[in-house]
Amino acid sequence: MNEKKSLQKYAVETISLTKEYNKTPAVNHLDMKVREGAIYGFIGRNGAGKSTTLKMLCGLAKPTSGEIRIYDKSVVDPYVAKRVGCLIESAGLYPNMTARQNMIMKAKCLGLADSGLQGQSQENSVDKILSLTGLSNTGNKKTKFFSMGMKQRLGIAIALLGNPDLLILDEPINGLDPEGIREIRQLLLKLNEEGKTLIISSHILGELSKISTHYGIIKDGVLVEQISRESLEQKCKSYFQLEVDNISHALPLITEHTPGVRTEVYDNRTLRIYDLSDGTWLHQLLAENHIQIYSSGFHHMDLEEYFLARMDGQTHTASQGGNENV
Amino acid sequence: MFNLLRMDLYRIKRSLSVYICLAIMLSITVLGCWMIWLLGTPEGRQSAVNSGMIETELLMEELEDESNLLEGMDLLEMYRNMSMDGGFYPCIICIITSLFVCADFQSGFIKNIMSSHRNRWRYVVSKLLTMGIVNFFFTMISFGFCFLTNALFHMVPFTNWLDVLFYLGWAWVITTAFSSLIIAICIFTRNGAISILAAIIFSSGLLVTVLSALSSLFHLDQWVTYTLYFNMTYGPSSYSGIGDLRIFGIGLAFLVLYTIIASIVLSKKDI
Repeated sequence: MNEKKSLQKYAVETISLTKEYNKTPAVNHLDMKVREGAIYGFIGRNGAGKSTTLKMLCGLAKPTSGEIRIYDKSVVDPYVAKRVGCLIESAGLYPNMTARQNMIMKAKCLGLADSGLQGQSQENSVDKILSLTGLSNTGNKKTKFFSMGMKQRLGIAIALLGNPDLLILDEPINGLDPEGIREIRQLLLKLNEEGKTLIISSHILGELSKISTHYGIIKDGVLVEQISRESLEQKCKSYFQLEVDNISHALPLITEHTPGVRTEVYDNRTLRIYDLSDGTWLHQLLAENHIQIYSSGFHHMDLEEYFLARMDGQTHTASQGGNENV
Repeated sequence: MFNLLRMDLYRIKRSLSVYICLAIMLSITVLGCWMIWLLGTPEGRQSAVNSGMIETELLMEELEDESNLLEGMDLLEMYRNMSMDGGFYPCIICIITSLFVCADFQSGFIKNIMSSHRNRWRYVVSKLLTMGIVNFFFTMISFGFCFLTNALFHMVPFTNWLDVLFYLGWAWVITTAFSSLIIAICIFTRNGAISILAAIIFSSGLLVTVLSALSSLFHLDQWVTYTLYFNMTYGPSSYSGIGDLRIFGIGLAFLVLYTIIASIVLSKKDI
């Protein structure tokens, strides 16, 4: 019962969040809800408003209107800041300092104790996180000589200081090599297992789909959809696609012969049929009824395809025994 | 705020630019002392003639005039002439301030700071305190260096310590006020080059001189006496009455004003 109740708690909740630049909305009445313990993949094109939203969540930009609640407290609450770690755009690092010195700077900024008397000492935290992110062997190398991937790792390491409950990461795997991406993915999953909530924006949708439990799709500052992984999988499952000359004739014919199967009219020539194991009999049926078939075959929509479809603003007519909007 | 101060002090101790500026300042002090010794003392002039730096005839002709060079000058006057009155010292402090504050914006580390400190005035006050501490050490070191050089070469008589404390006290307030002005400019522009240029223009008195010349055409140049540069240059060397404390008031007023402006600008702009 308690577990169920805790699942309903939101780590982040925005209410009609709006940010305008010169009266042009970059984020427009955004109602985002991120559950505690979720990995929330935040997807959108360049300039869609992802970074602006994340900046507002981190307290780096002021909303024009609306409200942000983090762990049920206002974002301006100083205690909220201690529960949030963020990496926005690039990792902000002093180029003439080493990784360790940059970490110590942030540790001092957070007020982590110098000595080990207060449980979480500065030195211990820094060394532990550097080791966790694979940067413990960088020694006296200044960050200006770091590769892009190393800088990103250090950015994540800095965000992890102070053991925050919520991690906001904007493009955390930018510039990482495949091995680095895998390591960061494993690290993020491990952090999530420890109970941390993660909000991650990335253009590498394939990678995002491997870890996200929820998705938010933003377009032109508007949150067009929030969806859980289960719902997305349901929506993206395999379908049989038919391209025919007379869809108004073909659709009732198919629904008549396949009751209970969900169909979707993609455009005026294309029809998608879900939960179909074999399509050969359909060819025969349509041919017998003098409906010409241009193409046919099984497809599987992945996150990228789904995202692009949403970005194109496609709203298709679907039917499951009858027509309904998807 | 003290966490931010600890962070800033940690960085400034490791900042190469601070040590370079300190080295430049001390080099100029040594050079100034050496020039004064060379031209203002008989031993120095003799040394200059012996090494062929000046001609004997020229020296003999101007000897009478040159002998008056250090007349009536004490240690504090010498220090003011070399470092403070021309705006050299404030310029050095303003350049350090520019480099120090703009590094936060140019590196992007400001995002790490502001995501954990939502009250932005704390950032401004922390920077101001840091520069106040740096300024204090720089003032002490530069005056101490001048004192030791003078003790070594016996050029001018020492000044009353109370006068020295009074002068260094208000000079510290005025130069810290200069720092607060540069902090405000850095926060507004977020650009190192512009901030350094502004540091040079403001601390050298270039802007005040030009505006004063223009306003004097209309006999409206009384405002100049309330500027930081004017007070830095013409402020009292010793305490002679309650009116001499006005300089502290001017320095503190500008310091508070610029700090408030910087805090407002930072809280209005996104990071």
